[in-house]
Amino acid sequence: MKRMGFKEFLFILPALLLIGIFSLWPVLQSFVYTFFDYRLNDQQKAGLYINERFNTDLFQETALYIGMFLDEDKKNITDSADLEKVNQTIKRLDQLAKAYKGKEKVISISAEEKKEMTTLYEETASLVSSLVKKYPLIHKEDLPALTEDLKNSIIPSNFIGLNGYAKVLSDERVRIALWNTFFFTVVSVFIELLLGLGLALILNKAMVGQGFIRTTSLIPWAIPTAVAALMWSYMYDGTSGIMANLFQWIGLVPDSRDLLLTGGGAMFSTIFADVWKTTPYMALLLLAGLQNISGTLYEAASIDGAGRFQSFFRITLPLLKPSILVALLFRTLDAFRVFDLIYVLTGGGPGGSTETLSVYGYKVMFAQSNFGYGSVVVMLMFVCVALIAIFYVKLLGANLMEKN
Amino acid sequence: MKRVSFKLLAFSLVLLLALAGCGGGTSTQNQGGTPPTDQGGQTNQGAATKITLKFAAQNDNTPATQKVIDAFNQSQDKYTVEWVQMTNDSAQMHDQLLNSLSSGSSEYDVLSMDVVWAGEFAGAGYLEPIDLFMKDAGLNKEDYNAGSMASGNYKGKQYTLPFFPDLGLLYFRKDLVSAEDAAKLESGNYTYQDLYDMSKKYAKQGGTEYGFVYQSKQYEGLTVNVTEFTKSFQDIKGGLEMMYQFTTAPFTPKDILNFTEGETHTAFEQGKAVFARNWPYQFGRINGKEDGVTVSVDQVGIAPLPNGGSVGGWLLGLNKNSKNMEGAWEFLKFVAGPEGQKIMSKEGGYLPGFNALLSDEEVKTANVMLTYPGFQKALASTIARPVSPEYSKVSDTIQVEAHKYLSSGSGLDQAVSAIQAAIEGK
Repeated sequence: MKRMGFKEFLFILPALLLIGIFSLWPVLQSFVYTFFDYRLNDQQKAGLYINERFNTDLFQETALYIGMFLDEDKKNITDSADLEKVNQTIKRLDQLAKAYKGKEKVISISAEEKKEMTTLYEETASLVSSLVKKYPLIHKEDLPALTEDLKNSIIPSNFIGLNGYAKVLSDERVRIALWNTFFFTVVSVFIELLLGLGLALILNKAMVGQGFIRTTSLIPWAIPTAVAALMWSYMYDGTSGIMANLFQWIGLVPDSRDLLLTGGGAMFSTIFADVWKTTPYMALLLLAGLQNISGTLYEAASIDGAGRFQSFFRITLPLLKPSILVALLFRTLDAFRVFDLIYVLTGGGPGGSTETLSVYGYKVMFAQSNFGYGSVVVMLMFVCVALIAIFYVKLLGANLMEKN
Repeated sequence: MKRVSFKLLAFSLVLLLALAGCGGGTSTQNQGGTPPTDQGGQTNQGAATKITLKFAAQNDNTPATQKVIDAFNQSQDKYTVEWVQMTNDSAQMHDQLLNSLSSGSSEYDVLSMDVVWAGEFAGAGYLEPIDLFMKDAGLNKEDYNAGSMASGNYKGKQYTLPFFPDLGLLYFRKDLVSAEDAAKLESGNYTYQDLYDMSKKYAKQGGTEYGFVYQSKQYEGLTVNVTEFTKSFQDIKGGLEMMYQFTTAPFTPKDILNFTEGETHTAFEQGKAVFARNWPYQFGRINGKEDGVTVSVDQVGIAPLPNGGSVGGWLLGLNKNSKNMEGAWEFLKFVAGPEGQKIMSKEGGYLPGFNALLSDEEVKTANVMLTYPGFQKALASTIARPVSPEYSKVSDTIQVEAHKYLSSGSGLDQAVSAIQAAIEGK
């Protein structure tokens, strides 16, 4: 091993940069989100604000509205002193709104500016509440609500530090989703391994129509997951589904509608569909490993008097170990991140009994547009996936990473 | 050799920089600060350059939406409206719209929104307030459906006009149900238990298979139905128990827990169910003899639901980042106004959101439902879904908890307390 000089380092620099940009940057980005109460559907939280900001857009819109509504209500204000106050307020709002015209949507403000805003808000609020008490205004409900928006234009910091992580650890739904994810992963990958190994051994035999069998067995893997999930949802349908009625007929389930409408049934259904879909993939990975085992080994073993079982357990399995580990690593990570199959087939139902972490993360992020907490859920997934990868690489197969 | 390796090195660095340019930029904020301007097509070439407006609206089971758009396109020569058809699954549509809006995209100009999202979208700053537009056009808020207007009013600013208001109704087979029972239903003085007994009595008669069909899949429709069964959450336990009683009844479809509006209208209009809970559009389908409808209008009666029907419906709003705000407003005004609402009502059986049309003879003749006493009763006894700034989270909890109990029959108390907590905003 030569010492690495500057030029050699330049050669691996592109690789390092690529890893940085494509693997670490997005993770870091999500990691940053986890420290903020970042919600897109709340204008005070729709960004990462460590210090205070000012929402010029909202302020201008609100100032315009207050001016307009006060203007419409002038005819109801009889006292000239009050009228003077109203005119003053309209003017001040107008001036401030003009001062911020053409600026960006959200800007940083100094302490003085903030003070000016706050006093304006307080004075407007007290004026409005006194007017509402005193006169029969047209906009008696709208005006107080509007003045609140003046305050909302000043955006407080939404930095929450580790609170998101504290919340995720005590979140019942996360606990259930984590359990569902683990259960789904372990059971489906285990069954896929057994079936995939069997299929690979069959495919490895030289027989008539070998090409045809290999091609047809790949069909489930070739269908896009979302399409396959939709197909299965029709087949599992309690009333008209062919699979559901078949399962009922052979006595696998007492009632055909249990498949999608009970917790256990739905979990079974998703696992069954996943096994159907990815067994061929598993078989293909293992087949590649099988083809690398040289036939002379088997010949030598049979001369030494080894039976079929002995040669399978003494030759095939040990030599297939790296392939099995690679296949398991791929499939475990895949199954742990399962989204499309479950989203289309059950939507996480019934009653959240098939909701996996990725489905829950999606709901938090996109349905509730809570990016801060959603990122915490995603981080949790990232940690789990990293642990799985480390587990495989370290504990099980040091030979996985070796070149020989 | 050395030279080659240097070339290779230079090449890989260049490639890397190019890649970094693609993958590096992420924006965490929606910058919507650009003032709305018309697109470049605004030259004086007359009708040759029409500005295209994008209208994001859900798929329509009736021809109404398409006809309204056609009518608008023919009414003037400045704009062409293109309908971007969204899914009928309201939760998915919500997520799609939210995705587009939160990125600050100007992809859609006019949006169709479920009443329960309008507050969320307005609060997030995705919608353009329309008070000024209304003032300039001389429109009064009082002319439109009050419930819909209230749903689209957030913190004193009006963001939406009604696309069509909606309410839950009970449809029943007039030809099968006795006159006495029909009168009881139409009066609204009956309970879900009465409905259960009637379902038992009439199911299997006249070629039907099922008694009462409603929406019980884990989606927004379940929240609506739970609201109705529990009388707007006054009796959560009793309501859920009643739902379970229906779920397990022999005259209820096996897969009721997968029923959405689609399955409901199919079962009823093909003569398979005696009773159905659905929105007014179902009447439009039957009246318009759409594909697959086998029951005729005179076999159908309408009644209020036992605890009143949920208010629903859709609203129209303007995308704050739209580049054609003027045109978008023109279209919005047209659809929500008397002309557009008349088409929606005549062609699709939708309830008009423009109040004057409720007593319009033409609308009444086209929309027989408005003359039904049961329908008038239902209009007067509506109930609301929970109101919350975090509505989608509350609704999600209700769906998960209710569906869990209905599909297993156990854990009722846990479901009740979880739903209670969600509504109280804990």
